[in-house]
Amino acid sequence: MEIGFLGLGIMGKAMSVNLLKNGFKVTVWNRTLSKCNELVALGASVGETPAEVVKKCKINIAMLSDPAAALSVVFDKDGVLEQICGKCYIDMSTVDPDTSCKISEAITSKGGHFLEAPVSGSKQPAETGQLVILAAGEKALYEEAIPAFNVLGKKSFFLGQVGNGAKMKLVVNVIMGSMMNAFSEGLVLADRSGLNPHDLLDVLDLGAIANPMFRGKGPAMLQDNYSPAFPLKHQQKDMRLALALGDENAVSMPVAAAANEAFKKARSMGLEDLDFSAVFETMKILKHKS
Amino acid sequence: MAQNLIKSGCDVTVWNRTKSKCDPLINLGANYQSSPKEVAANCDVTFAMVADPESAIDVACGKNGVASGMGPGKGYVDISTVDGATSKLINEHIKATGALFLEAPVSGSKKPAEDAQLIFLKAVAPLLDIMGKSRFYFGEVGNGAAMKLLVNMIRGSMMASFSEGILLSKKVGLDPNGLIEVLSQSAISAPMYSHKGPLMVKSLYPTEAPLKHQQKDIRLALALAESVSQSTPVAAAANELFKVAKSYGLGDADSSAVIEALKAKSFSRLDSA
Repeated sequence: MEIGFLGLGIMGKAMSVNLLKNGFKVTVWNRTLSKCNELVALGASVGETPAEVVKKCKINIAMLSDPAAALSVVFDKDGVLEQICGKCYIDMSTVDPDTSCKISEAITSKGGHFLEAPVSGSKQPAETGQLVILAAGEKALYEEAIPAFNVLGKKSFFLGQVGNGAKMKLVVNVIMGSMMNAFSEGLVLADRSGLNPHDLLDVLDLGAIANPMFRGKGPAMLQDNYSPAFPLKHQQKDMRLALALGDENAVSMPVAAAANEAFKKARSMGLEDLDFSAVFETMKILKHKS
Repeated sequence: MAQNLIKSGCDVTVWNRTKSKCDPLINLGANYQSSPKEVAANCDVTFAMVADPESAIDVACGKNGVASGMGPGKGYVDISTVDGATSKLINEHIKATGALFLEAPVSGSKKPAEDAQLIFLKAVAPLLDIMGKSRFYFGEVGNGAAMKLLVNMIRGSMMASFSEGILLSKKVGLDPNGLIEVLSQSAISAPMYSHKGPLMVKSLYPTEAPLKHQQKDIRLALALAESVSQSTPVAAAANELFKVAKSYGLGDADSSAVIEALKAKSFSRLDSA
């Protein structure tokens, strides 16, 4: 199967490498074209524009950083829309439901087929093909994509109409952002109370609130290691989008709102390109500068 | 916990403020004494598992309390979850009698207690090993209490944010059971979510750990944070939700009932009650 792949950031690069290693023919595009070189070395072809990629490939996957990038790749000059008639577009970016619906309408009204398929999982699951795929939209396209999804992920869900995948992803990530804050508050309070935060990690790992995120990120956080698996700016974007969803639907979310404030503070401290676990830094004693 | 000790062959003497609660244990072979003082006087090691700091102080240092029956060669293990100051106060009263003291709050609730899977924080080793699956020693008195509070502070925040997620998923047209399934595959898969989630979706809150105790623990954790000038806004926001749930009369329901605090309620004036 030949697949077009648009967007070679942290996730896109790992995912397209995975597809290549599993025997798929892949044509890649990235806004900064030089990022394609590594994939070319592994056997990928390059498209100079999104339109060029779609022209060549029947099925196209996009993995872009935010709603603005997702829209740009579709609607701009030399974008996906110009060549989409009869072709398939699977947007695996995490965007708000409205952006996803807007893209879906544009694609389908030009005779294309659309599936939204945001993922849960960051760099390492992308590299090892362990993503959780939250698809919604055209069921027939979902079925066609399954061989690729089986390589990219450990489990796929089909959630119905366009928008449902985006919503599910945002709900998962808003819980994750709140949990990272709760975890960070616990760790910093352990330290301030004279306990060993590593002991807290050990106790947490034995009980009902043990989870892979605490287990995986805790030790690195305690060593000030925030090498980005999931950049903080994207996590804060997801908090913002989820809170907007809550806002539109009159759902009370005070804990998420408090967590979002911490992520905003982290951005203001210049931590936005670090892993989202860097929100931990906002809770440590800071030197006040006026 | 007392049942586990009896079943493994220990010679157990029990006391409870409401005597009738002792009957099932007496039927299993426990002895009974009419006050904490008498229990302490008749036993080598006395364990206490009570609801809150006030009860812990009363049982240990009150009239006919444990301290009155303590002496050299005896030990007192307080397994209750209290704040560090309460623990230190009890420690002083017990040590003044010549006896030994240990604070040993536990992590885990009713089901793990029945399954002998509580996590302990220091060994009165063979006895604790009967009741728990794992134990840690954290040094001076106060540290075990603090560790327990931190775990429960995180737990309360997680339960509150999980509640927000369930309600948001429902409101935007997703199946909340689908959310629970997705979570179970994700990096934030925690046993608590898959265990409590399905019941919460059905608005069922059978009590494994009472909400009022979860709120007590967050309150104590916030006080600890305040004592070291540490800001904890997420825990504070979660605490407000537990307070609201308590005000709805849900203190004795499971701590997962905090989700009710987020639900839309129909407006009615207080004075119409």
